[in-house]
Order: sequence, then C-alpha cells, then structure tokens
Amino acid sequence: MNEQAKKARDIITSYKGRPLRIMEVCGTHTHEIFRIGLRKLLPDNVELISGPGCPVCVTPVGFIDEAIWLALEKGCVITTFGDLIRVPGTEMPLAGARAKGAQVRPVYSPLDAVEMARQNPDEQIVFLAVGFETTTPSACLAAETAKKEGLKNFSLLTANKTMPNAYAALEGSADAFLYPGHVNAITGTAICEELKAKGVSGVVAGFTASELLTALAVILKNAESGEPFFVNCYPRVVKPEGNPSAQKLIAKVMEPCDTEWRGLGVIPMSGMRLKTEYADFDARKKYSMPEIKGRPNPACRCGDVLQGKCKPCDCKVFGKVCTPEHPVGACMVSDEGACAAYYQYGGV
Amino acid sequence: MSDKTVTLAHGAGGKQTSELIDKVFKAHFSNPQFTADDAAVLNIGDGRLAMSTDGFIVSPFEFKGGNIGKLSICGTVNDLSCMGAKPLYLTCAFVIEEGFPLDKLEEIAAAMEKTAAEAGVKIVAGDTKVAGKGQVDKIFITTTGIGRIMDNADTSGTYAKPGDAVIVTGDVGRHGCTILLARDEYGIDADVDSDCAPLWGTVESLYTVTNDIHTIRDATRGGVGTVLYEIAEQSNVGVRLNAADIPVDPAVKGVCGMLGLEPLYLACEGRLVIIAPKDKAPALVEKLREGKYSKNAAIIGEITAENAGRVVMETEIGAQTMLPQPGGELLPRIC
Amino acid sequence: MCVGLSAKVVSVKDGTALIDANGAKREVSADLLEELEPGDYVMVHAGVAIAKITESDEEEANDVMEGLL
Repeated sequence: MNEQAKKARDIITSYKGRPLRIMEVCGTHTHEIFRIGLRKLLPDNVELISGPGCPVCVTPVGFIDEAIWLALEKGCVITTFGDLIRVPGTEMPLAGARAKGAQVRPVYSPLDAVEMARQNPDEQIVFLAVGFETTTPSACLAAETAKKEGLKNFSLLTANKTMPNAYAALEGSADAFLYPGHVNAITGTAICEELKAKGVSGVVAGFTASELLTALAVILKNAESGEPFFVNCYPRVVKPEGNPSAQKLIAKVMEPCDTEWRGLGVIPMSGMRLKTEYADFDARKKYSMPEIKGRPNPACRCGDVLQGKCKPCDCKVFGKVCTPEHPVGACMVSDEGACAAYYQYGGV
Repeated sequence: MSDKTVTLAHGAGGKQTSELIDKVFKAHFSNPQFTADDAAVLNIGDGRLAMSTDGFIVSPFEFKGGNIGKLSICGTVNDLSCMGAKPLYLTCAFVIEEGFPLDKLEEIAAAMEKTAAEAGVKIVAGDTKVAGKGQVDKIFITTTGIGRIMDNADTSGTYAKPGDAVIVTGDVGRHGCTILLARDEYGIDADVDSDCAPLWGTVESLYTVTNDIHTIRDATRGGVGTVLYEIAEQSNVGVRLNAADIPVDPAVKGVCGMLGLEPLYLACEGRLVIIAPKDKAPALVEKLREGKYSKNAAIIGEITAENAGRVVMETEIGAQTMLPQPGGELLPRIC
Repeated sequence: MCVGLSAKVVSVKDGTALIDANGAKREVSADLLEELEPGDYVMVHAGVAIAKITESDEEEANDVMEGLL
C-alpha cells in the first residue's frame, strides 16, 4: 500500500462525523470492496450499501426465458458472458437448458460471438446483450460489424440498460454514491454534475485498493460540510467528456426504450434497443418472438436488496434455500451480486 | 441434495462434489478403510500400504507442459506421495474413442512410461476399451496405484493444528490456466505451461528435514483454495492466508484478470499444500527450494483456532476477508 | 458492473489492438479510441478498449489526496 492510500485509510478509520450511508452502484465495486475487506475498516457510523449496478443481477427472469426459448424452440446457439449462465429463469437457468441439449457458450466479447458466426455459417448465433453504458458499445460494435459484413446468422437479444434514470429511481437511498468508474469512462461526468446540482453527492471511483480507499476518503472529507459535492477520483481513466466515439456509436445503433429491472420493475427509458435499421440483427424481431413474461420466485427480495432497502441477510431464503450453488435470485448468482458477496465473504 | 441430475458443478471439486460423494458414494461404500484423504491406508502384514485411484478426462488431451498420459501418472503418484507413501505399482485403464490416432496414443504411452520411471513406479497391469464415436471425448484414462507408507510418516487432513504454518510448494493455478488457454475459447494467449509433475521426490525430501509433518495434499481440481477449505473442515481449524505471500505467475494473474477468475481456485497438478509446525517451516521451505519442482515454495499463512472451517485472507489494505467457498462450475466473470 | 482490465498496447492494425496484461495477450477492438499507439495503456472491457489511461494508480492517488488535504 502506498503512502497516499495509507493516509486515505487513516481518514476512513478515524472518521467521527455524522452517520453516512454510501451506495456503491457498481457490482465490480461491491466485489472488490469485499475482496480487499474494506468494510472491516469502516467505523460504525459509515455504512456501505450495494446498488443495482450488476447487469446480471438486474436482468429480469423473462430475459432468461427468452434466451431459453431461442435455444430450445429455435435451435439457436446462445453466446453469453459467463455469469448469466446460472441466473434462474422461470423454469430453469441456461445451465439447465444446456443439460436439456441447448447450446450455450460463454464468450469473452460479443465480437467473439460475431467471429463464431463467421466460422459457423450453418449455425444461428445469438448474443445475450446485457450491461450498462460500458458494455453497450461492444454490443453495438458487434451489430455494426454484422451489418457491414451482411452476416445472416448473427443477432442480439438486448437487455442493455442506462444509469441516469436509475439514479432518479434510487433517490434518497444514500447520502453519497460511489459512481461506477467504467460507466463514466464512456458517458463522462456531466451526469454527476447534474446530480450535484440536484443535491445528490458522489465521487467517481476506480477499482484498485488505492483507488477505492482514496474515493471513500474523499467522500468522508467532503461530507463534513453538508454541501452537495462531486469529485472525479478516477481521472487516469475517466475524462469529463467520456468517450465520444463510443457515445456516437451507441446513438447510431441503439435507441432508448422502457425496460424492466429485476426487483425495480419497469423504469421508463432506462433501456437500449437496436434501431429499426438494425432489425435484421434483433433476435426478438428476427424470430418473431412472442411476448414472454417471467415469473420470479415471490420469496426472493433481490429488488429490495438492489434498492438498499434491506440487506441480503434480511431475506428469508438467503443462505438457506438461496445459495451460490442453488441461487433463487440473480443477486446470488454473479460474484458481483450483493447476496453472493455477502454469502461468500460475510461473517469475519 | 436438491439436484435431480448430475451437473458439471458436481465435478468441479468444490462443495457440490463433496455433497455428491457424501450423499451417494459414502452412503453405499462406507467401511473403516473408506477415506476422505487422497489415498486409503491399508494395514497388510507388518507394513502400511496406501492405495489410490483417479480418473482423467482432460480436454484437450495435449497441453503445454504435458498430456493426459503424464497427468494420469502424476495424479495417482502424487495422491500416494501425500500419504508419505513411496509409490510402487500402478495399473491403468484406457477408454478410447473410435478414430483416435494411433501415433497420439503412442505419445501418451511414452509420456506415461517416462513419468513413471521418474517417480520410480512400475506400470504392472492395464485394460483397454474402445468406445464408439461420440461415446467418449477422445480418450479417458484411469490409474490406480499402491505405495508403501514410510515408517516415519504419519499425515492426514485431520492433523492440522493452530499455530501450524501453511506452505505451498510453488506458484498456484498454472495447470488450470494452461488448460483454459489450450481450449482457446477466449482468444487469450499467454506463455504459461502446466505445473504437472510427479512429486514423490519432493515429499521424500521433506522427511530429510523432519518427521513432524501434519498434512500433505496435492492441490488438484479446485486448486489450493479448495484444498485449504477441506483441511479446515477435516481438522476443524481456521486458515489465515497472507495475500501478498501467495506465489502467482504474472501471466496467470494476467489471464485471471481478463476473465475475472481467482488463481487460488485454478487446478494445479504439481503443487503440494503442506501443514507443519511453525518452527519447522523455514527449514522445510529451504529444503523445498532446492528441489526441481518446488523452487518457489513459500509459507503463505497459518492455522488458527478461530474461524474454524473457514479460510481467511489478510488483504493488501491490512484488513481480513473471507475467501469465498469453492463451488460450482468455473465460469469467466466479465460483466 | 464492468470488470475492466488495464493493459499495454503492443501493436495496432485495422482497428484491432494487440494488448498485453502481465503477459496475457489478446486482440481487442481499437475502434473506439483515436490515435492509439504501441506503448499506450488502455482500459479494456468485453474485448473493447474503452479508454486511454495512465498505467499506475499511484500518481492519481497523489493528485486526488493532495486536493483533499
């Protein structure tokens, strides 16, 4: 640990100000915070709560059902980020569909799924496009490449989401936000300035131990005055303007739409879908998919967990029926998920 | 067990694997010699014999640093060695898919003989079955071995005591990482080769330092993390690791960083976890560092009375955190 | 939300960059960054270089903390 990180740690451990609730919006933050044991350093009057920033966790049950429909009814090869494979659908997760003969392959990048389509012209490849502003450009690049090359066997099942309207939905749930650094790397920091003008405080944070410590120290120092604040604590990656090429690409390929967040319900205009010009690559249109409504397990409180209304251990099924081996809700599936993180690292 | 069918997670070496063994196999096979260690201890005549068996289904069957043949010898040799037993005899059974190239089979056999010779063990019987195309994935090998336990050796997963040191004989996760790269599913290239090695010589060298060695385990499927969880449970102790002391090859770290994986849960095929009294540990490590397969041996932590059954990590910011319980299929975490 | 990987650019060709993270190499899309050159450091997510960065978090911590104290 370097000198500055040590100073930051001292600021955190000796904090004696007013009680603070800080929400880390991003699931990778949740994961790293647990991995390095940061919560153990916090004084009693500072609470870190985990927000809805894990794309796997906010993916609704119905989306998994849609993917399984494509795999089992239409014989498509499903390509996906690894952690989506264990997320429960209404009847089963993709792993269960795989045991029934569905072809489900984890990939590192949507561009690898495009390559798979090139190599296997006889197979219909569908990529499950989940993720926030950070991940959406990669899906857009895949759609753009497929369009340019006229690929007939590649499409996207989209569930992409954007953060701004989610912040509005989360209003009042925390005294300050740790903003998701890699989302801001794409969008820039204007949104954070706007939130500050509305009285919402926060800092953009990176992901290394030193970056997380300094970001928290900055929050605790600034919170003393009681005035709303915004500080970019991740300037080596996040520029105020973000990544303009990525923003342009998203605007070219996708458009906002209403979308369902697991646990939060439908948030207007918080999703992204392919524009009509890319309809050939939209799996829902390509396969004339009927409307598929998922039925989540009613005992699961993932929604309340995502809004910071309850802790994972307050949920009746947590740790008993719902474990990483047999997840009931998505928050238990992804390593980023608040419930999985509590289950794995909680206790000590 | 709530599952109705066997899933890939049951074979991953973590919690679900032990659940399957407990609920199905132990329930049917239970007898005084049935073991939770790597090999069973059998009292025959005056001596103690160790007996072990292991199946190998690695895909691809060739990889940097070895092939399924070398692996099948190392696996059983190492299981015997971990009981302090000098491996003596092995048998092997092949299930080969119709259409498998004969020259590849010869390469596999040659690697087996070479590895067996190095370990000082003889292959004395075998069985060959050929399965129809598609009924197996190219080639599966099962080896079974017996060895004589040295009179001065007495190790078990139940012997770890608070105050003991935890030693690992080299950098972790290399084999698992090599296989991941060899499958070429993620387009990643890195100069990593398998740590696959026969470790009888390594174990033998330990006993030139002291007989006071409590536990020896080879960290195969599920990696060092899984083995430590097993020892914590069997001995009813806690394990405290120091993150900074765990040797990891930079390239393995790089690959894990790309895929969001933890090196402590990637398989090794040539690494031992050794639990021994703290005052003996420095001499053991010094001895290990002279060995061919244990140059990067290190003390990575200690056994504690608190946190029984769990593995705790001292992290880079000086806080303690629980190491996640191993379990489930290893899937890259990207989002 | 998004696992990011900081890596060094080894080479760039036709919108694709070969990156190196501690010896782990992979081709990623360089379409979203202008004027990428070998030796630059980038943040990679899902096979796409999303930002040009400085390598170490140390200097950043210095700057951020200086603004604070």
